[in-house]
Amino acid sequence: MAFSVADTPEDLRKWRLPRGRHGLPRELVERSQRERLLAAVVRVTAAKGYEATTVADILGEAGVGRESFYELFDDKLDCMLAAHKILIDDLERRVRPVYVTDGPWPQRMRAALAATLDWFGSDPEAARFTLVELTAVGPAFRPVFQAEFARAIALLEEGAGEDGPEPELAQANELAVGAILARIYEEVVLGRAAELPRLLPDLAYELLVPFIGEARARATADDGA
Amino acid sequence: MQKQWSSEKATSVLRPTTPLDIGDRSQRQRIVDAIIDSCAEKTYAATTITDIVSRAHISRTTFYKHFDDKRACFDAAIEHCIEQLQEVAAAAHSAEDEPGDAVREGATAVVEALAARPGLAQLLTGDAMAVDPKAIERYRKATIPAIAALWSALGGRARPHTDPRIAFGQAQVLILNQIAAGEADRLPDLLPEIVYLAVSPFGGHEEAIKQSRRAKAAISGVLGG
Repeated sequence: MAFSVADTPEDLRKWRLPRGRHGLPRELVERSQRERLLAAVVRVTAAKGYEATTVADILGEAGVGRESFYELFDDKLDCMLAAHKILIDDLERRVRPVYVTDGPWPQRMRAALAATLDWFGSDPEAARFTLVELTAVGPAFRPVFQAEFARAIALLEEGAGEDGPEPELAQANELAVGAILARIYEEVVLGRAAELPRLLPDLAYELLVPFIGEARARATADDGA
Repeated sequence: MQKQWSSEKATSVLRPTTPLDIGDRSQRQRIVDAIIDSCAEKTYAATTITDIVSRAHISRTTFYKHFDDKRACFDAAIEHCIEQLQEVAAAAHSAEDEPGDAVREGATAVVEALAARPGLAQLLTGDAMAVDPKAIERYRKATIPAIAALWSALGGRARPHTDPRIAFGQAQVLILNQIAAGEADRLPDLLPEIVYLAVSPFGGHEEAIKQSRRAKAAISGVLGG
């Protein structure tokens, strides 16, 4: 989804620029190379695992030369984190409009969850890449995880609005993000990412209980289910 | 325990009480401690056998006498962490407690143990996720039935509330976030949330909020423990 440029290896091949002197502006060539490398690192890492993935694998998948790679990225980790950021930005673009908007807060929260589940469910490779493989990058994992967690919390707070809940737990938002992450992570690890949207009613209930109690959470979770 | 040891030592000339394999066992424990500390500092991915042997003050040969590889050592460390936390949780409550109180006391003791040794928390959250999700499952399977059994043993009514597996994942993500922020020493700040998560699947939202309040009051010293 984020990489509409190259969703399949076929697309990828189509998108390869002609070799040799093609007279295209350098900027366009680099953009295309960068996009292909980012799409490739997601696919290769999701399939092989971060540790087993080499720069050569990424180059092979992207059809880009080693020299060009190192002009654009420091190393495998740099490339991976760049792709990671693009994906998370894309996820936020999906969630924000349905959450930071008008309407009763529990329904908006449910809609945000639905958008999140759809996003991960529609692209199992991206799901595996962003959730599972990120944990394998070593010390860089901690700051990235923490920053993204904080970003999710900030979004929840931003969209709380005037009718937002006043949960007794100081870290209710953290609980909500934790529930989503932990549940989606588990499904992705089990290779069931595509079925994530089905979790909506149950997970919406779990998410809402700490904010609005069991009865109201049940009523909202079953809305339209 | 220390005293007992020294009095035994006094009679040990004629009646040696030290098990013959004590050297092996303490070596093995030193290696396990070393991998835990190294993972806490630089994560599992970045930890090398060299890091482990130099921390444990043993030779490479000795390491390989106990473990086939880094992964086998890691698995032993996970087992060690789970055992430690189980002991801590079991010792934290008495048979006369109300179920909600007992679960709160157990959860509190576990969080305090994790704060005292952040390496355990790092291993059971971030690193376990990176190395093998089964490690988390193993910890979860050791935890949830234990709380469920405690709940019914103390006369708690069992009616299904929220999913304990999600609560477990939420607790894990909250702890991971705190560790990732480099604030392991502030893990006890999470007590109201962790206690809520531990109680809520078994006792429901209202009981969980009640226990969460008690945990919060204990932190701020109102109840003094």
